[in-house]
Amino acid sequence: MTVEEQIRDIIARITRVDKSIITRQSTFKEIKADSLDVVQALVAVEETFGIEIPDEEAQKFQNFGDFVSYVENRVAQKEKV
Amino acid sequence: MIRNKNMVQNGRIRVAVDAMGGDYAPEEIIKGAVLAAEKDDVKIFLVGPVTILEKELAKYKLTNGSSIHIVEASEFIKENESPVDVVRRKPNCSVAVAARMVKSGEADALFSAGSSGAAAISAIQFIGMLDGVYRPAIVGSLGSFAPNTVMVDLGANVDCKPHQFLAFAIAGSVYAKKFLNIADPKIALLSTGSEESKGSEAVREAHALLKNSGLNFVGNIEGSDILNGKANVIVCDGFVGNVLLKFYESIGGYAQGWTERKLKKYPPLRALAKLLFRRLFPATKISSETEKQGGGILWGVDGVVKIAHGASHAPQIANAIESAKEAVKAGVVESMKSELAKFNQGGKL
Repeated sequence: MTVEEQIRDIIARITRVDKSIITRQSTFKEIKADSLDVVQALVAVEETFGIEIPDEEAQKFQNFGDFVSYVENRVAQKEKV
Repeated sequence: MIRNKNMVQNGRIRVAVDAMGGDYAPEEIIKGAVLAAEKDDVKIFLVGPVTILEKELAKYKLTNGSSIHIVEASEFIKENESPVDVVRRKPNCSVAVAARMVKSGEADALFSAGSSGAAAISAIQFIGMLDGVYRPAIVGSLGSFAPNTVMVDLGANVDCKPHQFLAFAIAGSVYAKKFLNIADPKIALLSTGSEESKGSEAVREAHALLKNSGLNFVGNIEGSDILNGKANVIVCDGFVGNVLLKFYESIGGYAQGWTERKLKKYPPLRALAKLLFRRLFPATKISSETEKQGGGILWGVDGVVKIAHGASHAPQIANAIESAKEAVKAGVVESMKSELAKFNQGGKL
């Protein structure tokens, strides 16, 4: 399972939306995720991938694609180390 | 860290109290906890900074048999802080520590008069939701004017997704069965008209879900039907529910004041009205039972979580702790689980 698929599953589970509607262009607003959904998703992703996502970075995510790209980069960096 | 103040006794319901949550915390919370602890079937854990709590608790002489303990939580959520800080910035704040005590089995219930958002988030993140429930909801009985009617949600969910209304209906139904002894509660959806097509998009979608739920759904009702007994469980989003609750709670005092003012020129009638209100219809009886009970339970959480108005004073705090204890005794979480299981099996939630 790719990083993208795992994050999509996490978000779909937390927000209770059909994961097929979550595209890389989807914003949190479009998938009707409120602030608590977003925080829960951040915590779940941090636990799943063993990384920390600072709030200032999370605030830059414009859409699902930004979130996935950030996590992919962090996971790749972690694997290099 | 747990510091014993008295001898621990068996058979007590253990309530973890967020001692730093509330407009008058920790003073009124501790005063209320001391009152609640006078009963010998409860064990109270005051959660917060030990130095602050010990100093405050030292003001009271605990009665024999009182069981109050202090549990360290170095942080707490302040008034201007966002409730989501509980998860990301202050996972060791008093309400979060109290929630984790419920999860770990060290406590049977959590009580907080602090930010209801922070309590709800702590419950979701650290205790967890029951299968099929997305967010906690607050259920409350309307009391005097409509003794056989409960409303849900009373404020935990301002914006709701349609499936949440179904979970609200199940929670309300369990409440009506458990606390009002109604075998098959009539469930209605609060809307702007009785027709299915009335209401917001979420309400219209919820109508379809409730209609096909197998619950005793009697359709939409309007505001004018709230008190007439058409429904035992009235389902609405937390925005509507909270506005209605606070309006309802204010009616008693205003009705009394208004009547007395109107009769100012007729002293005998005014005296009679005053007597009637005080003896037959005291303001507290006209207003919601939720106030008397000292707040509401967060339904749908995998543990008993009781919240109260931030402005609660010691008597309401004591009532709320007492009511949390009763909810544990009544097995509300187990009942909710078994009711939800029927819907989860049918894939309806």
